[in-house]
This record gives sequence, C-alpha cells and structure tokens, in this order.
Amino acid sequence: MLEASALDFTWSSVAEIVTAVATGRMSALSIVEATFARIRGRDPLLNSFTALTEQRAVERAQALDAAQGRGEQLPPLAGVPFAVKNLFDVAGIPTLAGSKINRIAPPAAGDAALIGRLEAAGAILVGALNMGEYAYDFTGENPHDGPARNPHDLGRMTGGSSSGSGAAVGGGLVPLALASDTNGSIRVPSSLCGTFGLKPTYGRLSRAGTFPFAASLDHVGPMARSTRDLALAYDAMQGYDARDPVCVDRPAEPVTPALQRGIEGLRIAVAGGYFKCRTAESVYAVDRVAAALGVNRDIEIPHAERARSAAYIITATEAASLHLNRLRTRARDFDPVTRDRLIAAAMLPASIVVKAQKFRRWYRAEMLKLFTEVDAILAPATPCTAPMLGQQTFNVGDVELPVRANLGLYTQPISFVGVPVVAVPVPMTPLPIGVQIVAAPWREDVALRIAHALETNGVAAAMRPKEF
Amino acid sequence: MAGKSRARKAKTSRRTRRIKKPVGAERPKKTDALAYLTASGAQALALPIDPAWQAGVKLNLKLLFIHAALVDEFSLPDDIEPAPVFRA
Repeated sequence: MLEASALDFTWSSVAEIVTAVATGRMSALSIVEATFARIRGRDPLLNSFTALTEQRAVERAQALDAAQGRGEQLPPLAGVPFAVKNLFDVAGIPTLAGSKINRIAPPAAGDAALIGRLEAAGAILVGALNMGEYAYDFTGENPHDGPARNPHDLGRMTGGSSSGSGAAVGGGLVPLALASDTNGSIRVPSSLCGTFGLKPTYGRLSRAGTFPFAASLDHVGPMARSTRDLALAYDAMQGYDARDPVCVDRPAEPVTPALQRGIEGLRIAVAGGYFKCRTAESVYAVDRVAAALGVNRDIEIPHAERARSAAYIITATEAASLHLNRLRTRARDFDPVTRDRLIAAAMLPASIVVKAQKFRRWYRAEMLKLFTEVDAILAPATPCTAPMLGQQTFNVGDVELPVRANLGLYTQPISFVGVPVVAVPVPMTPLPIGVQIVAAPWREDVALRIAHALETNGVAAAMRPKEF
Repeated sequence: MAGKSRARKAKTSRRTRRIKKPVGAERPKKTDALAYLTASGAQALALPIDPAWQAGVKLNLKLLFIHAALVDEFSLPDDIEPAPVFRA
C-alpha cells in the first residue's frame, strides 16, 4: 500500500481518491494525514479554514481502513476529505456563520444534515471554512477572520460568501467542499477561484443544521474541481429531510450515470439583454463555451434587472428580520458594512417586500416558459475575474460599480427563482472566470451533462494554481 | 389666571407632540425623507444607531429604494400570489 504522503494528490479528484482507497492502493488514514499536513503547510497563505476536525477525521479514517481490511464493500465516497463553510453545524464547534457574534454560541449539538449524508457515504470531514459575515457578502473579505485569499493570486479576492470553500478547493487543500448560495455565494467564488460549483434546485438539498441568511432564497450545494465530483457528492446528498421545511419530498434522481449521455439533442441558448456583459473576460468565456457547444442563439430572460432588484429587497429584509435583535444588542460587533445594510433594510416598508414576492411569482412563470423553448441557458457567472483585495469598484463597460454589491450581478436574477445552475470555470491567463449553465427546475442532470461535455473537450477546467 | 393656564396647556401639548429623538440620532433636515425614515424607524424598532453609522445606513436605504422603485413600478394582476415559500 502506498502512503498518501508519498504521492502528490493535491489535484486528485474525488473519483481517484475513492478508487485508491477501495482498491487498497492507499489507506484512508494516509489520505487524512496528508490532507492535514497540506492544510497546515498552505492554509496560512490561503486563510480558508477556521476550524480543523482532526481527531474525528482520524477516527473515521481508521474505521474505513478497518472495514477495507475485513473485505467489506466500502461506501461510494470512502476516504474523500471534505470541508464545510462555517455556517454548517459541526458537532462540538460553535457555528460561526462568519460572524464575531456567534463565537459565544454553544457548540453545535450535532452535524448539519448534509455532513451526515456525506459521512454516511464514506467521506471524511476535515474542518470548517471561512466565509463572509452571515453570508451577506460577495467579496470573501471577513473582518473577524481575515479574508480568504484567491489561490491564483494571493492579493486577490476569492469572492463570497463561500470564500473558504473556493480557496480550499481551488487551492488543492480538499477536493470537495460544501457551501451555500442565496444570491450567488457558490457561483461567485467558483468563478473567481476557478472551481466547479452546483447550486441545485431550491428545496432539493436539506439545509437542516445550517445557519440561515434569507430563508426563501437559501440553497446549499457542493464545490469541487470536476463535474463528476460535483455529481458524486450531489448524488450522495439527495433525499427528503423533514427537518428542512422547504426540502421537497421527491425521490432522489442520481445524475452521475447521466454524465456520459453527452449533449446530443439538448437545446441551449445564451442569455441576452441584461446578461450581455461588456467586460472582455466574460465575453471571452461565454463565447468560448457557446462555440464549443455549437450554440448560435440568444434568449431574453425578461425583466432580469427587475428580478435582481426584487432579490436584493427580499434578501435584505429577510436578513434584517433574522438579525433584528442582534442589531439591537450587538450592533457594534457586526462588520460595519453588513450592519449598515441590515439596519437600512429593517426600515423598508412591508408593501415593497410583498410586491417583490409577487413579482417573483410572475418572473418564475416567465422563466418556466423559456424552458419550454430551451433546455439550458448560458450566462456569465461574474462580470470580471477576481478583483484585488480591498478593491472598491470595477468597470462594466463605461459604468463604474461597487464590487461588493455587484459581483453577483448575473447570479442574483437566476437563483431568485430557484432553478439549478452549474458554474464551470473557463481557464484564462492569469485568472479564471466562470460561466453559469442554467437548467429547468429539477434538471440538474442537464446542467451537469453540459458541464461534463465542456470539461471533456477542454473548454472548462479547474486550473491548478502556479504557486501550489 | 385662566389665560395663563391655557397657554401652559398649549405649551405642554406642543411639547408632547414633538417626536422624541432616537438615542444617538442626529436631527435630520425636514426635507430629507430617508433621514426621517431612518430616525423614526430606529425609534419605532428600538434600534440604537450611532451617529457615525447614519451616513452608511442612509446610503443603503437610498439604494434599497432605487431597487424598490423598479419593483414598484411594475404592474401585476391583483390576484397574483406572492412567493414567500418558493417551490421551483
């Protein structure tokens, strides 16, 4: 048996690790030990982890190795190290959700539902990851834990709010991370860090045991370095969970077997109008993806700008409601940027919020109509590649926009109606950028098949950072 | 005596009608609707706002109302249901 420390499996996929452990080529324990060694060596630069679960990971690895030694069939993700955004409950650790305030919260009594499902499939939790405060962030700049740093350029943003997830996966510390996405928090860091990310259909994966942000928009999902790895993790996590009130009681629909089906017969269009970004990098990425897929038509998502505004209002007000008492008692302990947004949102009249929810119903119907014409829509994931840490504005065409609110310009109108999206990274020099593949509700398989096809023909790939 | 009492009463009444200034809040100019909304909202919700935060809060409220205008101007049928718990 090879020791993992003897191999460089920094860039190994979930599938490669599973095979190595299942065949006895590597022990789960050696993988876990090498993972922690790598985290200790590299994370001081990336600042992606906020807690490590080493003892627990070692015990789980030993149990898997013992099972392998007894000749038992191992579960499908046996030996795969993974980490979670620190809004997922991890037994024995306070659930920070990127905040200072939650540091005095009692340790979580149990694990979040999805941690339980991944561990039941043999994956091994190695720690909790940095994130933007209370997930209200697109930059990855956390004033309490410091910014997670982009693995392709340590002076740049990871994007947020799943900043540590992007840095840890994109930086080769773990092959798989769990994250959340309310307005783009999986897709934005995937784009800036060059990883694959899946935001599933709203209600597909259980959010039980996660700290909320804006409940009617909150999703959870995986980030990885390949489409197959996203699919393997997603399949292990599907299934109804009564502990999440919005989790839909719908049978699991495994997507991994569908990846090989290719894209033959799929009708794909590029999102027009609002989504026609005028930055060179996003134009390049979307054009390259469209050309590789043979896509030559545009489709207009009606009133996308208004949808973004409605998402903005619902997010702000649901979050203000969630944090109202903390704003009364601990306002000085918030990130000032978050605090000011939340206080302002607490003042917004309810009539506007209800109108935004009514518009959402209308917009959903319009989106569903589009999916009678096409099976998938392509759109930029972010307007630009990773901005510098501390950068306040960027330009889209001739317009200068604040970075913090606008990195999610193209993700917000999509997640607003809960449709599934795969963000695929398009390698560029010096920095990658992502493209969204948007599918109809419950058709994660379509988005993943397209992502897999792009990966197979080399258009989408997780770039290995030069420094790692 | 009666006139003096009426004058005192009127003075008291004027005093009680005056809106109490929220803790730490700067008195906004009468024409500044967002500052008034911030101050009165803070009072109604018992949200303490440090004077140093007011500019940031006001800026965010202004941005929210820009987004709100875009939603508000859109005509929707009376019978459309809101989507507070959305199922795709």
